[in-house]
Amino acid sequence: MLDPDPDSLEEVVGRFIDGDLDDLIPEENLPFTHLKLVQDEEEEVMSAVRTEQAWVVALPDPKQAADTLKWLKISGLETADMDHLKRIRKQSSQMTLLLTYTRTHPSPPSLPPALALPAPYTLLVPRSAALTQTSLQLKNTLWPTVYAPRRKHEAEPWARARVQWACAAMRRVVQEARAARARGELPIAAYVPVPHDDETRAATQLSKPLIAGDTRVSAAHPLRHAVLNAIRAVAEYRAALPDASPPPASADAVSEDMREACEGGGATRNGTHYLLTSLTLFTTHEPCIMCSMALLHSRVKEVFYLIPMDKTGGCGGAACVPGLKGVNHRYAINRWRAGRDWAVECGLEVGPGTDA
Amino acid sequence: MSEDIIHPPLLAQTDSATNPEHVQWMRQAMQMAEIALAHGEVPVGCIFVRDGRVIAQARNRTNKLRNATRHAELEAIDEILADKQWTPALTPYPLSETTLYVTVEPCIMCASALRQLGIKEVFYGCENDRFGGCGSVLGVNAEVPHPAHPAYEAKGGYLREEAIMVLRRFYITENANAPVPKSKANRVLKTTITPQTSLQSQA
Repeated sequence: MLDPDPDSLEEVVGRFIDGDLDDLIPEENLPFTHLKLVQDEEEEVMSAVRTEQAWVVALPDPKQAADTLKWLKISGLETADMDHLKRIRKQSSQMTLLLTYTRTHPSPPSLPPALALPAPYTLLVPRSAALTQTSLQLKNTLWPTVYAPRRKHEAEPWARARVQWACAAMRRVVQEARAARARGELPIAAYVPVPHDDETRAATQLSKPLIAGDTRVSAAHPLRHAVLNAIRAVAEYRAALPDASPPPASADAVSEDMREACEGGGATRNGTHYLLTSLTLFTTHEPCIMCSMALLHSRVKEVFYLIPMDKTGGCGGAACVPGLKGVNHRYAINRWRAGRDWAVECGLEVGPGTDA
Repeated sequence: MSEDIIHPPLLAQTDSATNPEHVQWMRQAMQMAEIALAHGEVPVGCIFVRDGRVIAQARNRTNKLRNATRHAELEAIDEILADKQWTPALTPYPLSETTLYVTVEPCIMCASALRQLGIKEVFYGCENDRFGGCGSVLGVNAEVPHPAHPAYEAKGGYLREEAIMVLRRFYITENANAPVPKSKANRVLKTTITPQTSLQSQA
């Protein structure tokens, strides 16, 4: 019933058929490219370190540290964008406590009289965590700063076997998109394969692949996009598991600051059989902003797509949702090389104004 | 102790955010948030209003449905589109005559969904620093261009403090849905609310 796969696909897939399955494929030979989410700003010299004004207070007696920290927790002064700064600075015998940014508190914060502290004063502090040792040293001269080198979502090595897995998945999602077109739908599909490695397979408790096509025509519902349909399929699959442990699916409904305001710590979501955690989603078209954020809420690990949607996409097109400042999860974005050619051959084109 | 820390709402907000008509609708959205709280869901509620009457009301059901995308807005939208009374025939913008009242700024996902459906306008309670799609994190309602869908206006500050407090009440209780619940015995319910520091451009 379906047309055979076009030559361009056979050609790409064919390149990875022969050879040792454990061979690492060099990045430039992979059938997809990895999108860099965040352009790290260089802060390797003092003049490049981005700073802002904060209120701090000297602690006359080091023994006050515990009490003042305790008070700070319930004071409402701390904000999530202070996470990269340590709360206390020790310089020889002098301890200083970080209170809050002047941006959020233009006037000096009031301190509990019981602690008998001197008046707060303002100081320039680094605006972000240190990405390198050099920038850490520079930033520490201003205020002790957290060291957080970026490792996540750097290109990871791909063995031939895993490339084959990705090719098979992309082929499957193209088939489904063509099937959707045959049903009178938009030719868009999304696919969550069983993870390639045993460990992730066990951890995610996903033992069968889930696939969904776009159904906005038949459902008479403009939001029945393939990606949302696939997310729903995963949810229903998980709900049907006999020993399904209860889901903490609410993590994202609102600001986590709210959560932190009450518990004084980050939200914990343990276990990887949570939504799409550690899973990969393949889709024919770059997901729209709605679907890109739905994938972020669902904690997907990585997304592959064939066709960039420059005007409506949320994974590099109109916006780059997982690269936004402030969001609490990032996923990797991989764009298939020459994906558009492949898609055109298969009749998967949609209008440039379409939200995929 | 808390009274002297609660800041008065910023002047620019006071004009519109106390408009009795909008506040009255927001109160109904808040009731939905309370229902969500009673069901162990993140307390966000919403109502959709058309021609002066509520055509749908909903609240978060992410825990129940094991689906992090089942926010109040999407739940209500599904109801409206499934109901022949409110959607007799599907038009390109089925919500073009409909206003949304929601207790928290729509997230990026919902803000995009609303634009795709041509929502008339949005009123919300408190801003959403981590996921807000109407200016706090990304201005999906207007700032981000779209080749087809018109922009819509989103105004915040309606029953803002109540919206924040109902969320805090949720996060202070033990979340029975978490796989390994974290003890929250030592939590203290904070009652101080910092003012919105920047008024987003809302159109």
